[in-house]
Amino acid sequence: MNTDAEVWKRHFPTATSGAHLFPEFEMRAKAVSGEVFRVPDAAEARETLIRLVDGVGAKKAVVVESPLQEAAGITEALRSRGVTVYTEPADIAAHAETADIGISGVEFGIAETGSVFQDGGAIATRLVTILPPLHVVFLPSANIVPGITEAFDIISQSFDRGYVGFITGPSRTADIERVLTIGVHGPSRFAIIAVDETPKGGEA
Amino acid sequence: MEAGKNLRKEISAKLKDETLRDALGRFSEAYPIARAKAYENAGDIEALRDALRQMKIDTVAQIEEVADRFEAEATKRGAKVFRAKTGDDLKEYLVDLCRKRDVKKIVKSKSMAAEEIHLNPYLEAAGITATETDLGEWIVALAGQRPSHMVMPAIHLSRFQIAEYFSKELKEEIPPDIAFMVQAARKELREKFLRADMGISGANFGIAENGAIGLVTNEGNARMVTTLPRIHVVIIGYEKLIPTIKDAATILKVLPRSATAQLMTSYMTMTSGPTPVMVKKNGKWAEEEKELHIILLDNGRLKAARDDKFKEVYQCVRCASCLNVCPVYTLIGGHVYGHIYAGGIGAILTAFLHGMGEFEKFHELCIGCRRCTTVCPGKIDIPGLIEELRIRNVKEKGLPFVIRQLFENVISNRKLFHSLLRFASVGQKPFQSGKLIRHLPLFLAGVAKDRSLPAIAAEPLRDRIGKITKKIDKPVRRVAFFSGCTIDFVFPETGESIFKVLQDLNMEVLFPEGQSCCGKPVIAMGDVETTKRIAIDNIKALEEMNPDVIIAACPTCTESLRHYAELLKEDPEWGPKAEATAKKVREFCSFVAEEYAKRGRLTKTAGGPKVTYHDSCHLKRVLGIDKEPRQLLEAAGCELVEMKDADKCCGMSGLFGVKYAELSMPILEQKINNIRDTGAEIAACACSGCMVQLQGGLDKQLPGVRMKHVADILAEQIKEK
Repeated sequence: MNTDAEVWKRHFPTATSGAHLFPEFEMRAKAVSGEVFRVPDAAEARETLIRLVDGVGAKKAVVVESPLQEAAGITEALRSRGVTVYTEPADIAAHAETADIGISGVEFGIAETGSVFQDGGAIATRLVTILPPLHVVFLPSANIVPGITEAFDIISQSFDRGYVGFITGPSRTADIERVLTIGVHGPSRFAIIAVDETPKGGEA
Repeated sequence: MEAGKNLRKEISAKLKDETLRDALGRFSEAYPIARAKAYENAGDIEALRDALRQMKIDTVAQIEEVADRFEAEATKRGAKVFRAKTGDDLKEYLVDLCRKRDVKKIVKSKSMAAEEIHLNPYLEAAGITATETDLGEWIVALAGQRPSHMVMPAIHLSRFQIAEYFSKELKEEIPPDIAFMVQAARKELREKFLRADMGISGANFGIAENGAIGLVTNEGNARMVTTLPRIHVVIIGYEKLIPTIKDAATILKVLPRSATAQLMTSYMTMTSGPTPVMVKKNGKWAEEEKELHIILLDNGRLKAARDDKFKEVYQCVRCASCLNVCPVYTLIGGHVYGHIYAGGIGAILTAFLHGMGEFEKFHELCIGCRRCTTVCPGKIDIPGLIEELRIRNVKEKGLPFVIRQLFENVISNRKLFHSLLRFASVGQKPFQSGKLIRHLPLFLAGVAKDRSLPAIAAEPLRDRIGKITKKIDKPVRRVAFFSGCTIDFVFPETGESIFKVLQDLNMEVLFPEGQSCCGKPVIAMGDVETTKRIAIDNIKALEEMNPDVIIAACPTCTESLRHYAELLKEDPEWGPKAEATAKKVREFCSFVAEEYAKRGRLTKTAGGPKVTYHDSCHLKRVLGIDKEPRQLLEAAGCELVEMKDADKCCGMSGLFGVKYAELSMPILEQKINNIRDTGAEIAACACSGCMVQLQGGLDKQLPGVRMKHVADILAEQIKEK
């Protein structure tokens, strides 16, 4: 399914993007109630996730794999802590609604807005990102583009059909008396685990 | 007119709605600050606006080709595209589709186009339940109302009112706690998402290059609607189409920033072609390809695209920033406008989508202050388009009898008009106190409740010319002064000040006797033919004097005189003359500032009174003059203190201030409060319309502060030689 994910990588502008943009990205993401954890390697990525899982006392997780998650052994770590993990589309469809946490990988971040770009062509990806109350994403911390324009330079060369988009913080509304309230239809918490180390066997 | 009466009744009710007034009042204060902050890291905001405008202009020029490509690309990727000429076409197609696919339950994310064609009641009648899932839309649906704002549909309701609607719908006691209510809505609507047979979404843009549609939302409901049900129907208007994927970036740079002062909404989603969906069959979940329908709605849009002026509405991205800064909208909200699209842009869209009959009812609520033009990301000239629609409306239907009589027989006949004004100066005596009218009999009482009206001067400026004209030896310029009715008949002392200032600059000042009303009130009502007659009379009167320069001390008069060139351009005799006249026209403040600068007099001095300056809407936003009056005040020794929102309308706007007095008063009150807060002794301005309003408001509400034209302050500094 992830042929599109391969395509966008070929168009990633390495000259103008990179980890030097991470501080701005982090600041913007936090400004919209995103939780950002930058970690050096897979081991710390795993520990960060476990802390999040323990924090909410998660019993059930729906997971769509990504290279960073595989490198960190996320699914195994969750199972070894007694969390029930679903990774197959049919199981995800059956359990996403009642899962405590959804986990997926994202392609890149946008410094200007604190958004992450995700290819949601696979139905499982969309279910884990939208239904559980906590959504955790894994992002290679070097994959940050400066702005919306640069993001669209990539998208315009890689998006032909399917379902793509930006996620910027948790679901929110201000429809009652203009009071900002987090967590309407989508997740009430959105956490980004950004990993510096590139997984073995290729690029992130 | 019946419609007018109902509108005034509704306005009156909205002005008494404390919840609405409070919510909109706070919002209008907060919005400009939040918007400015959101644009801080966006680079050159004008460049972004220009880019959006240009992209949309290029698109509408080839809208048919763009639509064809969009349809072809979407079809190629497996979507079914249907072009609906009218709302009825769309509704029939949709109900037919629901019947064929056995659809009983629909979840909807926001679609203004669906609101526009009243889709929900039609579906209900066909036995199909459509649930709005945007929280604000759901709330107004429960309340049985219409959205009052394009982006914040329920801004007019309080948490207490909403708790009542929730309690009724959910059949349990819901406390007026916002976080709790949001969770209750989440729970209730989550069930609907999971059980729906079809999802209907709108679209913020549609991309011809790959047939994708884009959606920006904060709540995540559009992601649900486009992900969970087995059928997805998109309703999209032609104006949302853009040629390429990259063009979406041009919209996304400005739309969230202008609409909600966000750098980006929580979710920005683009989907092209049918995507997989999970369907439960015989107790097992299986992946299937979903069914995607795209309905491209015309309903008047293609007519607008082919109209040389009104194709500009394609530059609208529905951010509603024009409403957020509109002095009228922020007082009364969106319901008064009668249809789904509120405010100035709403009046224009309504004309195309619902016809001129509907436009007629609401266009007067645009006071032409042009504040919206400073924020619109697509740079639409909303007030200009409204004026154009008025002209077309009058061409088609004519003016009401009384107004036509007034324009054709009175205002365009200078002698008669001026005799009537002189007669009024006698007739007003019983109500007059000094230079102001403080009380009016019965039916006119509302007009003067919180504002005194200026009295017509006993001796107009035209009768004082002999006394105030000085013989100038070797004048540097011959200046013809176009006073306009208000300075001539209401503020002749300001006229005297202008003579004094210009003569002090060694200029010969002439007063063309034959000058009359500039024609603005007439063209503002859409009567082009009468305006042309007035223009010709004024050109004759002015050119008889053979002046080097024509000075007007009112921005509206300045604009009107310059506009004569455009107005008469088809006229072989008067067209070239009008153009020659227009070129000589200068606004008083900018002209004098330039002359003072030449003479080294435009420097700050001290020792004068504390003054605050009110920017006239037209002086600042049409003529682009805001520094010069301030420089002149400081050159005259004034201590200049800026008031809050100095460039926000005072609420006069020609006849609006009288016809909709009830609406004009709260706008004036804000202005008076802002003047009060500065602690200034004098409120200065450089527009005779604003002078009428400010003087009246100060007299009733802040009598310690005097109102003066910049010319009056300058004249006081000139020592008699």
